[in-house]
Order: sequence, then C-alpha cells, then structure tokens
Amino acid sequence: LETLVQIVVSGLTLSAMYAAGSLSLSLLWGSLGVLNMAHGAVLTVCGYLAYLAIVGLGLPPIAAVGATLFAGGVLGAAIYFCIIDWMRNRGNFETNVIIATVGLAMVLENAILAGFGAYPIRQDIGISGSVVFAGVNIPIQNIVILATSMVLMAATAAYMQFTRAGRAIRAVAQSRDAAQLMGVPVRRVFANVFMLSGVLAAASGIMLSLVTTLSPTMGYDPMLKAFIVCVIAGLGSIRGALIAALLMGLLEASIQFLIGVRFGFPVLLILVIITLIWRPYGLFGTARVARL
Amino acid sequence: VKLSHKTNLLAAVTILAIAVALPWIFPSRYVVGQMTIMLIWVIVASQWNLVFGVAGIFSLAHLTVFGVGAYVTAILGLYLSFPAWAAVLVAAVAGVAVSTLIGWACLRLQGAYVALLTLAIAQAIYLLIITDTACIRMSGVTCDTLTGGARGLARFGDFGFRDWLPRSIQHVGNYYVVVIAASLALGFAYALLHSPLGLAFRALRDNRLYAMGRGVDRFRAQLIVFAASALFTAIAGGLYAVHLQVVGSNILTLPVLLFVLSMMIVGGSGTFWGPLVGAAVLMLADEGLKDYAEWRQMGLGLILIAAVMLFPRGIAGSFGAWLASRRT
Repeated sequence: LETLVQIVVSGLTLSAMYAAGSLSLSLLWGSLGVLNMAHGAVLTVCGYLAYLAIVGLGLPPIAAVGATLFAGGVLGAAIYFCIIDWMRNRGNFETNVIIATVGLAMVLENAILAGFGAYPIRQDIGISGSVVFAGVNIPIQNIVILATSMVLMAATAAYMQFTRAGRAIRAVAQSRDAAQLMGVPVRRVFANVFMLSGVLAAASGIMLSLVTTLSPTMGYDPMLKAFIVCVIAGLGSIRGALIAALLMGLLEASIQFLIGVRFGFPVLLILVIITLIWRPYGLFGTARVARL
Repeated sequence: VKLSHKTNLLAAVTILAIAVALPWIFPSRYVVGQMTIMLIWVIVASQWNLVFGVAGIFSLAHLTVFGVGAYVTAILGLYLSFPAWAAVLVAAVAGVAVSTLIGWACLRLQGAYVALLTLAIAQAIYLLIITDTACIRMSGVTCDTLTGGARGLARFGDFGFRDWLPRSIQHVGNYYVVVIAASLALGFAYALLHSPLGLAFRALRDNRLYAMGRGVDRFRAQLIVFAASALFTAIAGGLYAVHLQVVGSNILTLPVLLFVLSMMIVGGSGTFWGPLVGAAVLMLADEGLKDYAEWRQMGLGLILIAAVMLFPRGIAGSFGAWLASRRT
C-alpha cells in the first residue's frame, strides 16, 4: 500500500504541474489559435523573476509572488504587442506564430543564460514540513501545489464563464470575424488572453521552481509535457486538460516506478501516439470545421 | 513567379561551378571546412523544405532523422567496423525507415498537433540518448554505450582521403563528397517538386479538402514526402559525422533545430532556391556573431523573429514577387 500511496502522491503532484502548465497553452490555442512555443521560456523567466524579487529586492514571499504574477501578465502583453499583433491579420498566422515563438524562446533563454549563468540556483522560497498519511511522508509543498493549480483552473473556468471579458474571449474563439462584426474589440481580446496566459505561466513557473532548481532550460521539459497534455486532451479544451493532466501524471509516476525513470517520457509518448491514432483530435477535442 | 527550367538549370550550373572552383580560390582549411558544413545544412534544409514548405506539414522531427543518419553511421563504423561509405548508405536506409515511422504516427494529425507531437518525439529520442548508460562493450576500464550517452561517439573511421590525397589538399576530399551529395539532394528536390507527386503535395498544402475531393490520397502522399525527404537528410547526417569525426547529442538540441529552421524561413520556405540562399545567409550571420559567443543564439532567435515579422515569404519568395511585379 505504501508504494501505491507514494505513486499516487508523486503522480498527483506531476498532474498538478502539468495541469497548470497546460492551462495557459490551452487558453491561447483554444481561443486564438496561437501555439506558444515560448511558453517554457516564459516559465523560466518568471521563476527567475520570483528569485530576483526575493533575493535581489528583499520582498517578502507573498509580495514577490504577486509581483511575479504581475510581471508575467506584462510579459504576456509585451509578447502580443511586440510580435503577435504584427502577423494577426496576415496569412499563415498559425505557422508564423509557431516559428516566431520558437525564436522568442531562444532569445529569452539566452537572456537568462547571460544574466544568471548556466549553473542551477535554488529557489529561495519553499514550504517545508510534511504530513504522514498511511505511513508515507507527504510534503506540504506538494499539497500546496496541488491546491494552487486546482484554484487556478477553477478561477480560469469561472472567468471564462461568467465575466464580460470571458464572454468576449469565447465569442472570438467561436468566430473571429463574427465577433469583430458584432463590435467585440478583437485586438483587446487578444491582448487580454495573452496577459492572462502570462499570469498563469508565471504561477506555474513559480511552482515549478519550487520542485526543481532554477536553470535556463528548466521550462523546456514541462512545456513539452504540457503540450502532450493539450494534444491528448484536444487543444483548447480546459476541462479535458485537467483530466488528461491527471491521467498523465499518474501514468508517468507508475511507469517511472515500474520500468525506470529513464523510460517515463518515451513510454508515455508511445501511449499518447496510440491514443491519437484512435482519436486524432484528442480525447475531448472536437474537429475544427474546415473552411474552403 | 515560376522561373523556367532553363533559367533554373543555368543558375544551378553557375553555382555548381563556383562550388567546384572554391577550394582553389580560397585554399584555407577553415573556409573549405565551413563551406562543407554549410552544404550539409543546405541538404538538410532543402529536404526539410519538401516536408515543411512544399507539403505544408509542420514537422519538427527533421533534425531527428539527421541525427539517426549521423548516429547509425558512427555506430556501424565504431562497433561493426563498417567502412564509412557503406555506413552512410545503411544510415540512409535507417533514416528513411525512422522518418516513415514518425510520419505514420503523426499524419493522422494536422497543423499544430503535428508540430507538438514531432517535437515531443524528437525530445524523447534526445533524452533516451543522453541517459544511455547500458554498456555494450568494455574498452579497458571504460564502458562504451551504444550511443555514447552524453559524451557522444568518436573514432569511427573516415573516407580515407588521408591515405591517398597529398597532405596539403586532404580537406578538399570531404568537401567534394559533400558537393556531390548536395547537388544530388537539390536535383532530387527539384525533380520531386516538378513531378505529379510534387503537385499533389502542394495541392494538399493549399487546400486539403479540395485536393482530397479531387482524388489525392492525403495519407499516402504525405507519407511519401516523409520518406523521400529522409533519404538525403540521413545521408547528410552521415556525412556530418564522418566530416567532423564526432557525433554528440548536441545535434538533437533546440539551437540546431532553430538554426536550420531559420535557414528555411529566411531563405523562403516552399521555394526551390530558398534553403540554399538561407543557408548561405545564416552561415554568414553565424560567422559574424562568432566573436560574441554569448549572443550567438540570441542573435539567431532575433533573426528568426524579424524574418517572420517583416518578410514571411523569405528572401527567395520576396525576390520572386519582385520579379513578378516587374514582369507585369
């Protein structure tokens, strides 16, 4: 039973990280058709910003987290206005965005490398202590991470469902042209979504830096995992992302335990490919209606 | 705008003549070495362009096929003592097989989904290689792993130009091998581009449903482009391994992917001359950034962003549009 609890605990923590990471990606893809390859780099930048706010500016942890979330939002908006806005009304939007954000990822990653060096740094905040459940030590930090990502998901879902801005986002997602004709300020909606996804990325960046160490490439692997979660859930489905993240986290933890850490990712990937052959748009995604 | 076959042939012959004469104009070992590397990237970019630019499939696993070519060549040379020539040819077959498999796994998906899945596959293979610690042979007290793990592989034999070329022009041997390979690769791309299959690829890219409605088998056509583009890519990987005499996991990392992607985008994806122009421009830019090693990657990233924002059709595409506007 102890090993089972152990697997479930580490699986749930993984799930929480994946869910938080994929939320931001899912939002961007689902509403704007934007695939943000710089997501991992944004995670990294925000992790370092939190570190800087605490160690460099001496802010108390809560204020530092707040400042980082704000900075994440600013970064998201900056990405939109500096890069994405330029190509919004041009052909090949989807492809161009992917290419430009790959370039952006490189720029951000190397800015961090130049500023902080390649050596891993330990994040200065951390929640110590643990509770014992069924003979297994469960760090409180893991519970906090799990709870935080649940809250983030619920908050995002509520924002999309009940606020005026959320309605505008859903309208743009359904049909950009129709929304524009109905007087929805599409440009502002785009900026809004980018800001929101920046804040979410900042939150998951901070959580990520708690469980690993800060390094210039720390965001890359979590980004890929978040991608896979999105793909298997169907890009753009937030509820699906939650369930897929849960499945993925638990599966990966079991595979790592049963076959070995090294094969966690590859085996997972094979399972994903098999699933996709069976359901090409993911478990919860719906085929986009192709326009001729 | 479409250039006539005659114009293209003329341009090709001129470029080939320059490429052949180059080692005698710039005999420096360094220049010829860099040109060899550039031509290897020309091969990779031109074949990737078939998948990405012509068929419109956003595959990010192309450098993985390149890596398969390089690793298979190195492994065969090191453990089975294959001569380099034979190893590269076997590597080509292996590359085609792997690429077909990747294509088969991804082609049910479209657009961004393909980009995500191919990137994940590439990363999974990279992770498997750098965490490889299982010994397959002991040499003295050190343990040799199949892929060399994080250290990479070395000492797996070369084409043997050292034995039968005079010392002063040894480095030219590899260069001419790569010139021949690049000519064949570009010829192959050109032939494919203007064959009925090439038309099918472009039709599927421009309007998938219409093309399928007209009876183009999407799955079959796109699987063929995955397989076809892998042939010379894997050969390029093998040549890269033999030329540098070392293979490391670094060829599977994001910076290399970005470098070749930039060549294709800056040069103009979907055009025949684009990858060649792009490779030349990017190698020059890389040369210029050499003294600022810290800023090299960042510079590449900025070039890529600027290229997509300012002239998404690339140099060759924009030049073609300019020609067309003059003609009318």
